[in-house]
Order: sequence, then C-alpha cells, then structure tokens
Amino acid sequence: MVHTTVVGSYPRIGDTPEEQILRRGIARLDKGEIDEAALKSLEREVVQAVLREQNEAGIEVVTDGQISWYDSQSHLAGKLASVEINGLARYFDTNTYYRQPVVRGPVSWKAPILLDEWTFAQSHSKSPVKAVLTGPVTLASLALDKHYHSKKALALDLAAAVAEEVDALVRAGATQVQIDEPILTRHPEDLALVAETLERIRARKGKSDLILFTYFGDVARILPDLIDAPADLVGLDLVQGAGTWSALAKHGSEKPLILGLIDARNTKEEESAGVAKKVQELGGSIDLKASYLSPSNGLEFLPRDRARRKLRILRTVADEVGVAG
Amino acid sequence: MKALLTTSVGSFPKPEYLSRARTKSSRGDLSKEALRELEEKATAEWIQFQEDIGIDILVDGEQYRGDMATYFAENIEGTEISGLVRSYGNRYYKKPIITDELRLRGPISVDWFKFAQAHTDRPVKGMITGPYTMMDWSFDEYYGSRADACLAFAKLLHEEARALEAAGAKVVQVDEPALSTRFDELPLLVKAVGIVTKGLQANTVLHTCYGNYNDIFAYFNKLPVDQLDLEMSNSGLDLLDRFKREPLKKEIAFGVIDVHSHVIEPEALIRERIEKALTIFSPTQLFIDPDCGLKTRSLEEAQAKLRNMVAATRAVRTAHGWT
Repeated sequence: MVHTTVVGSYPRIGDTPEEQILRRGIARLDKGEIDEAALKSLEREVVQAVLREQNEAGIEVVTDGQISWYDSQSHLAGKLASVEINGLARYFDTNTYYRQPVVRGPVSWKAPILLDEWTFAQSHSKSPVKAVLTGPVTLASLALDKHYHSKKALALDLAAAVAEEVDALVRAGATQVQIDEPILTRHPEDLALVAETLERIRARKGKSDLILFTYFGDVARILPDLIDAPADLVGLDLVQGAGTWSALAKHGSEKPLILGLIDARNTKEEESAGVAKKVQELGGSIDLKASYLSPSNGLEFLPRDRARRKLRILRTVADEVGVAG
Repeated sequence: MKALLTTSVGSFPKPEYLSRARTKSSRGDLSKEALRELEEKATAEWIQFQEDIGIDILVDGEQYRGDMATYFAENIEGTEISGLVRSYGNRYYKKPIITDELRLRGPISVDWFKFAQAHTDRPVKGMITGPYTMMDWSFDEYYGSRADACLAFAKLLHEEARALEAAGAKVVQVDEPALSTRFDELPLLVKAVGIVTKGLQANTVLHTCYGNYNDIFAYFNKLPVDQLDLEMSNSGLDLLDRFKREPLKKEIAFGVIDVHSHVIEPEALIRERIEKALTIFSPTQLFIDPDCGLKTRSLEEAQAKLRNMVAATRAVRTAHGWT
C-alpha cells in the first residue's frame, strides 16, 4: 500500500474558540499580559492538536505543522549569524508574506533552531515526525543579499548552516529530513546549485532519509535531473505543477517519490476515485509501495476545517490505490 | 498651486467600542441596526479627524468592513465565506469561496460612500476591491479558470464603479494588492481593471503594495488608471532610481508611512521621504499618503502617523513656497 505524509505547515487556528488559543495568546503577549514562556506553552498545545488531527486522519509520517514559525524564511534564517530581518515581502504567488532576511556578513549556524520543536513533537506523536527545513537555495533567493553579491556563495554557506541543523536533528532521532526548494518551480536553472547544496547536507544526514520537495509549480522540464539529485526521496507538487504528471508518466522514477496530489491551495474537494486511478496509472513507472501521497504543499493556505477534510481525502485516495493495487 | 495633496489608502483602525460591538454582533448579541449605528459613528469620527488635521482627499475608513475581499464577496451572489486563513504573523482573514456563477445583488459600497461624503465638503474616495485581487484571494470551486473568475468579477465591479460615480464620487480607487502575485497574469489584470474603469469620468486610482515592483515596473504605465498608489516606505524607497530612468506618465500617491511598524515616523523623516520623491516627481503629480491601509495599527498610532504625515507635507509645501 502506498504511504501517506504531509508537506509541512498546518493551519494554526480554526474557527472555534478552542482552536484560537494561539491567536489570542499572541495578542496577549503583544499587550504584555503573558510572557514568552506562556506563549510557548500555548504553541505546544496547538502542536499536540495538530499531531492529533493528522493521526486521526491516518497520516503515517506527520509534521509539527510549523506552528511556531513566523514564516518559512525568517524562522530559520533569522537565527543565523549575520542575518537581520527586514520588512514584509510576498511569498511566491500566495497571499501570505514573509519577513525578508537581510544578509549583512558571512552566514553561519550558531545553535540548534528546530531541535526543541522537533523533539517535543516527536515525543508527543505515535507516528514518525518529519523534520522540515527551508532549502538553502530558496533561502538565498528570497533574502536580500548585502554581503556576498552571489547567490551561489550565499547558498553554499546557508547549506553549511542547514547541514549543522540536520546533524542536530538526526542525532536527536529524526528519521526523515525534508529540504524544501520551491524556488526550483520558478528557477529550474538552479537545480545544479540545489544538488551541490544537497551534497553538503547529505554528508550530515546519518541514517535518516533525506527528502527534496518542490512545490508551487511544475518541474517537468528538469524532472529526470531533479529525481537524480542527491536525496533519498523527491516530493512533487502535481496540482499547481500539473505538467509534472505527464513528465512523470513518461520518464518514471526509480527513486521513491512523494506525490503531492491533493490541492492544498483550493477548498474544492477532490473526487478520490479519480485521483486514485491516476496514481494507479503511474504504477508501472514508479515504485508506489516505497512512495508517499501528500497534499501539494503545506496545508496552512486552507482554513483548518478544510485542511482536515483534505487529509481525509488523502487517506481515502491512498486506501483506494492500495485496495486496487 | 495644488501641490502634494494628501490622502489615505483606505482602512483605518476601528475604535474599541466598535471592535467590541462587532464581536457581540458576530455572537448574535447585538442587532444589525445597533451595529450600523456604531459603524456610522466611527465613520463620522474618522471623517472629522481627517478634516481636522487637514487631509485633502478623504476615505471613509472602512469601519464597516471586516476584510476587503470578503466584504465585497458577501454582497455578491455565488459566493460563501471560508474559515480563517493566515496572511502573516498573527493576521488572519476569511476568504471568499466561489461556489456558483457570480451575480451582483445591487450596489455594494455606495451607501457608505454617500454617508461619508455627506459629512464633508472635501472629496471622499469610492473604494473597490479589484477584480484580480477578488479572484486571487478567493477559493474557486466553480469557474476552474483564474481568467474566467477574474473577468466575471470585473464585469460586476464595473457596475459598482458606475454606481459610485453616479452617487458623486470624484475619485474611484481600485485596490489590487494581489497585482504582483503572478507576473504572467499581468495582462489579465490590465484587461480586468480596464473593464472596471472603462468610461469613468472620475479620477481613477490603482493601489497596490508589498510586491516586487521591479518585475512589474514595465506595466505601471499600461495600467488603465490616472493614478498609481504605491507602498514605498516599507521597501526602502528602492524604486526611485527606476522611476528616474523610466518616468511614470501618471500621478503617483507615494506611501511615506510604514503601516506595519509601531514606530511613529518623525516629521523630519517623512519630510526627507517627500523631498526624495520630489527629485523624481512634480509637486502636482505627487500625492502623499501612507503605504497601505492603517487598520493594523492602534487608533492612537494611526492618528499620530497621519498627523505627522500632514505636518511634514505642510512643511515641505511651505519650504518650496507652494502654500
């Protein structure tokens, strides 16, 4: 049977008062009514709820939902040496915004960034918790570089920092580590650089499975080389990157894949039988038993109730693929 | 000479009494009529404030809106409203869900425009959430094509623009914060905004913010409006050099206040920003306003920022002898 996983983020609030504790907590922190420790405790309550929801939906490899991340860029980059955090910038083609990292000098890793968050999540999850990190080339591309004046030089130093973080996570027990490089859907010519940075990260991955995930578009043009990148699994957005479906059918893959086929950016619900059929059609070209099905990207772009429904659809598709297979 | 006219982008923070009333109303503990009364009170107060500090072109402050897209969608048939989705930080908004063919029930914002305009002799902007942004910020379960959904919104919003003009709006602003979302869709945006503004006699404005302007720069002169309203402070006035090389053939409303910062910009800093803008734009082409709507700031912060903006503008006018 094909496996199931998620990509990373998860809606951190819902529409019921119980689901809004974090929003209220941050507002109270801003007013000085609670301290950082109290907010951290609220974040952890939400992480447990997010783990529970993934578990109830039958997802096999889960994430902590990136509940404590301000955004995909500043949460990591902001804790590295020589990086400041600037004003808001649009995050790809979404209606979400990130605080732009500004690189003022040589970038380096100072101390674990995600380790506490990952350790807490894993200790509260029956399922393996995947550690998810934004990739060095995407970080380099979305930052404002005032020092290197070279995307490659910046990306390679960021890769060294990401590799340190991966090492810390793997030593703590992470069995799957995912590097997100959505920039490849916009700049496929960056694949060689992504591969070079992944080589550095792979050297520190220990026995964990290293995953390269791309989303927010298609990677059809570079698919064979992308699959050959130095990662154990490759994740693909097959919704916004619908063009990748046909490339995948044509080229196939000997490497296990994560097929992002449930639309994580639109509420419209998939008809599970139709999606399952398309997956089965790929059965001759890829190793479905070693692969995973997932949403097309992080679920935070959906309201919480819709995210839950999408997870259930994902589970149903996986079951239907498994039964027929 | 009418130099450096001051204006605002649209939203202002809601006073505490209105925020509380909205919460009560959403729980069903306050009637629509009672809420409307408080929304009118807050709107009248903001009109009075803008007059008092001497802003030239006013806005109604959007005291009756939750979110700019859902407010319009709630008044359009064929939509539902989703649960909360995060935008950034601790800011969440509800998104429209298109579930059927879009149809206008009737004028959407005209009543509020009339109410605000009746409280002042100065011009009040008519405010429309643009068709591209309405499409981009909606979930689409019906059209299955971004272009079809966008153009469907455009036709309805043209009717709204005409109704605002008929009600006396001398300025109609189309808000397109999603403008820079997908560069390959800029021709669609130009077409859709063109449908909205077609045949209008009012001065037309397009507001956008928080995008990579360098990539969309080539489209600025193609946008079918008389004035561009741009966020400039948050992005560090980076665009000025580009405007120097490639002149803008429209009016520009130049954001001199960062709406996402608690810091009240001192008058001297705002003067400096205006002077920088004046090295590129003529004083009649240049309008002065905040980067974006001020609703995310506290009432006190927003008012202090606006006061400094107007004072700085006056000081620049005086220094140049344009009073």
